[in-house]
Amino acid sequence: MKKSKVLLALAVTSALLLGACGNNSTKVTDKNSLKAIQDKGEMTVGIMGTYAPYNFMNKENEYDGFDVDIAKELSKRLGVEANFVAQDFSGLIPGLQKGKFDILVSQVTITDDRKKQIDFTEPYITNDVKVIVKEDNTTIQSVEDFKGKKIAVGLGTNDEAFLRNDLMPKVGDFKINTYDDVITTLKDLDAGRADATINNVYALKPIIKENGFKVKVVGSPIKSDKAAVAAKKGNTELVDALNKALADMKQDGTYKKIFVKWFDEEPMAE
Amino acid sequence: MDVVIDNLPFLLKGAYYTLLITVVSMFFGLIIGLITAIARLKGNRFFRTIARVYVSIIRGTPPLVQIVIVYYGLVDYGIELGALTAAYIALSINIGAYVSEAFRGAIQAVPLGQTEAALATGMTEGQAIRRIVIPQAIRIAIPPLGNTFVGMLKETSLVSVIAVTELLRSAQLLVAQYYVYMPFYLSIAVMYWIMSTLFTFILNKIEKRLSVY
Repeated sequence: MKKSKVLLALAVTSALLLGACGNNSTKVTDKNSLKAIQDKGEMTVGIMGTYAPYNFMNKENEYDGFDVDIAKELSKRLGVEANFVAQDFSGLIPGLQKGKFDILVSQVTITDDRKKQIDFTEPYITNDVKVIVKEDNTTIQSVEDFKGKKIAVGLGTNDEAFLRNDLMPKVGDFKINTYDDVITTLKDLDAGRADATINNVYALKPIIKENGFKVKVVGSPIKSDKAAVAAKKGNTELVDALNKALADMKQDGTYKKIFVKWFDEEPMAE
Repeated sequence: MDVVIDNLPFLLKGAYYTLLITVVSMFFGLIIGLITAIARLKGNRFFRTIARVYVSIIRGTPPLVQIVIVYYGLVDYGIELGALTAAYIALSINIGAYVSEAFRGAIQAVPLGQTEAALATGMTEGQAIRRIVIPQAIRIAIPPLGNTFVGMLKETSLVSVIAVTELLRSAQLLVAQYYVYMPFYLSIAVMYWIMSTLFTFILNKIEKRLSVY
């Protein structure tokens, strides 16, 4: 008798707790999300937070990087504050769809597959993806040599989809190892537990330098990825506003300033 | 639910690895746990201290941290383990500490008169432990061990961070492909539940077998 009462009480409290959590997650309605963001005065931006120089935590423990600067600038132009939330890349798109974030600015590459799920602005950066191997590796010169090898890649990234869906049918089977961030991916490559990885070289430069990894880039670019700001499907108002802000940034030189600050080179002419 | 049905073989492969890691780590964990428990109860001061420090460190740090240290951390000291090997080692060491506590309690629960009687019949201390105390202690240890093992099954999900495609990682991979969470997470929850129920069932059987009362 007593036991069942305790159980009942437990069940009731947990139900209440769950209910309370449910109410906390503000669901942004699609129609006026731009208005909702501006009313709130802040825009929640989803980032990986482990992807230097795009988005990472700097020595002052603040989020920093190319993506972060772009997101801050966009927020400023929409008249709101940017509030950054970091999580694994694989959780970003589902989180966006659930309304956990208002936008993603985390090197989300535009793909047809993703276009069905989320809305993109115009691209704000183009990245060349290349093959990276250990310094003393001579067997892998390009993606053609991946057959039977162990390839390291970030989980849920566009590169993973490319390896699995485009490359594997072409060059033959190889093993794909998935990681939650670029650092562990490179660490395993450096340790010889993976034979190669594909990524864009901008992203790897600071990590390789910091850790002294003995790896090198081989071959010509596999593909050029265009990354854009991602918003929940059907948020046309928000996307339009972001597009306008992006265009203005490119017009008045702010974009170029941010680009040079992070990559020490001029952005390619579009 | 169609996406789950389509990808069931993939998820089952993940479940296979989860089971494999659980069983292998349990096997070594039992050995480590038994040795540690005996060291703490019967060892000299040196062994006692080592065992105590080991148990304290393992129980006082998150298993995720232990796994990452074994896999990514040891590389800096030139020890390069495969992902599965690292998972076995980290989880065996982890479970060993908890198992040792279960055994220690069980050995202490065997009445002292048993040891005394064994010694009185002319057995050595070692023989008394091996033949009289341990067989009785194992039976007492089964329920707490069962808890530890079921906990262990769920802890295997942590090795997804070191590129082992076990059950959780299989689901994450599918989420990354289909952009839907719930069907995959629900189905692996069911799979975990089935597996832990199975373990509990087997342990209950063993307990009944060993019970003499």
